[in-house]
Amino acid sequence: MKLKYSTRVLTLILSMLMVAGCATTPAKPTEAPTATPTEAAPIKVGLIAALGDVSGINGQNGALLAEKEINAAGGVLGRPLKVIVVDDEMTPEKGAAAVDKLATVDNVDAFVINSFSGVHMAQIPALKKYGKVTIVTGAASHLCEEAIGEDADWYFHLHSWDYMQGEGQKAAWQAFAEKYPDIMFKSVFMAYEEGAFGTASYQFSQKLFEDIATLSGESFKSAAMGGGDYSAVLEHAKAENPDCFTWVGYAADALPILEQAKSINFAPKFFVGAPPGWPPDFGESPLAEGVIAYEVWADALTEVSDISKSFYDGYVEMFGSGPDNYLAPLVYSAIHILVEGMERAGTIETEALIAALEQTEYKAPTMEVITFSPSKIISHQAPLTPMLTQYQGGKLEVIYPWDRATSELIYPFPAWEGR
Amino acid sequence: MELPGVLKQRRNQYALACLFLVVLLILWKPSVLIYGVQRAGLYAAIAIPMALVLGVVGILNIAHGDFMMIGAYLAYWGNVLYGVDPLVAMIPVFVVMFVVGAVTYKTTIKKVLDAPEFSQLLLTFGLAMILEQLANLLWTSQPRKLHVDYASTSATIGPYSFGVFEFANAAIALLILITLVLFLSRTRTGQAALAVGQNPRGARLVGIDVERSYLLLFSLSIAIVSAIGGLFLVRHSIFPLVGGSYTMRSFALIAMAGIGNLPGILYCSLALGVAESLIISFKGYGGWADIVFFAFILLVILIRSYRERLT
Repeated sequence: MKLKYSTRVLTLILSMLMVAGCATTPAKPTEAPTATPTEAAPIKVGLIAALGDVSGINGQNGALLAEKEINAAGGVLGRPLKVIVVDDEMTPEKGAAAVDKLATVDNVDAFVINSFSGVHMAQIPALKKYGKVTIVTGAASHLCEEAIGEDADWYFHLHSWDYMQGEGQKAAWQAFAEKYPDIMFKSVFMAYEEGAFGTASYQFSQKLFEDIATLSGESFKSAAMGGGDYSAVLEHAKAENPDCFTWVGYAADALPILEQAKSINFAPKFFVGAPPGWPPDFGESPLAEGVIAYEVWADALTEVSDISKSFYDGYVEMFGSGPDNYLAPLVYSAIHILVEGMERAGTIETEALIAALEQTEYKAPTMEVITFSPSKIISHQAPLTPMLTQYQGGKLEVIYPWDRATSELIYPFPAWEGR
Repeated sequence: MELPGVLKQRRNQYALACLFLVVLLILWKPSVLIYGVQRAGLYAAIAIPMALVLGVVGILNIAHGDFMMIGAYLAYWGNVLYGVDPLVAMIPVFVVMFVVGAVTYKTTIKKVLDAPEFSQLLLTFGLAMILEQLANLLWTSQPRKLHVDYASTSATIGPYSFGVFEFANAAIALLILITLVLFLSRTRTGQAALAVGQNPRGARLVGIDVERSYLLLFSLSIAIVSAIGGLFLVRHSIFPLVGGSYTMRSFALIAMAGIGNLPGILYCSLALGVAESLIISFKGYGGWADIVFFAFILLVILIRSYRERLT
């Protein structure tokens, strides 16, 4: 029988690989090594994140930094900590399969979930099936809270629900109105992306802002969804001449919307952006000067908090640059909260661990003291206060809450000339 | 009453109707015309290279927009690493991607030229997936955007301030169209390619190197759309999936203009760009832009089909 040339080449390569594989297979140890605390079976935490997205990468980095610090400090309960990361590929079915894989194949002791709301919805039935302690750092949609229900005492939600974010923003602006009554805005125009995220934000804002300012708005197609032309919505905003212009979209919209606002010479007194994350070099653009952002993390926090600085320095040392968004400190905090809970409980047994986690008072790099209390439905929700930050001189400065402020507000939003 | 002789021709009637619309828009909503032309320029610049390869080689390249994305990333890194302006970067991107196009043709497209259309679609769909995932692996999904001063250059006429950079889209679309039309009609290579597009078997019989024409036009198409990436980068954020929606729009425009009708793409882009701008100029109707885009295309295709049946 005569083999084709390509078949012969393939067979040869496979044979060589097999030989190479055999040659490098290590011999089995003849004697089991004596177990030391760090060589004992690890405590396993399963992290599910979207590794194709920068949010997932940041979350993974935060977890790996926490793992490194915890193991360097002697591990947890005398055992090493092992974080097993599974990519949810931003698809619901993969996200749900990741829960099954971690629970049955890896047999993890707890979950940390950094998935988006759509993926998390699909994970909830599997999480309920296993009932392991779970800390969720993603999933802001209140629909996830409704799906989880009130009986899931093993479920700890670190990220704010969507309605809480609106309430936090309102509280921030009310505090601002008290401190700066003369410059506070009376009218707001909200440009929101036409998907569920933007539409829900606008609906919540309509209720929240009704006793602060008049609110009008219009949707636009985000660049992330194939759009990217904001000319019409900006023209409409300019025609209404609002004190405050807020856009709710994605990172891909951040700079183009500013460029187009400059093109039509639209410079309201407040220019606010509310994307889930900003482009990494957004601050370097001169157009970013004076833009206000809702944030949970800003590098500037390192100036006012040793905990923030320690986290930031560790992150830079391990990954070469600072975190791109708040999910790095959030997942980092989740791992530390989990481990501190295990230490307090003295066990990884679920009931004891839940009771211990309920006692959490964790000082996070975000300068928040994280505790758990009931939200509308679930019993373990961390209150994260959104910070008001502003791009100043290429840097994101904190302007509210007052105890974290690293700079004063620049008001009004600087004119476009010369930028 | 009889129409003057010059107006008896249908083409002149259309031209007069268009002129009337333009004057109406200038008087009523000049911003619609400005933004419409700007939108149309980008649509046409991206669609024309796709029309070239679909009209001559007969391949619907689903990865078309993804090649633009790759070109945009090359221009981005050219700026970040070597300080090359994205518009200047269009030239080296054109050269590099011409070679990439040639390699892509030789290693993949050539193999499915005689295969069923479904296989061709699957192949280019696979190419699109590979390019998107490659970009994701290399550069992550984080959107990237360059800041260049001229991106937000504006002009003011009366009460209207508007961006002028995006007129470059229309200028470049026009430049590409004129260059391609001249190339196809005035050069021997271009005429040969045109003959191949019309009748490959006949072209082969008269001694034209069909294979070479396919290779040239496919590579040229990839090079042009990738170079457009540099232009795109000036006003848009880029990320691995940014090109997908432009593939769809380009195909729709080609279907509307008629396969092989390069100048028709410019007219159709203008019509669609202005129609979209008109709709979104009314507050609260932004979401209708896509519906108008595809409904307009559907209408034109149906009318054309009806007229062909009548004749």
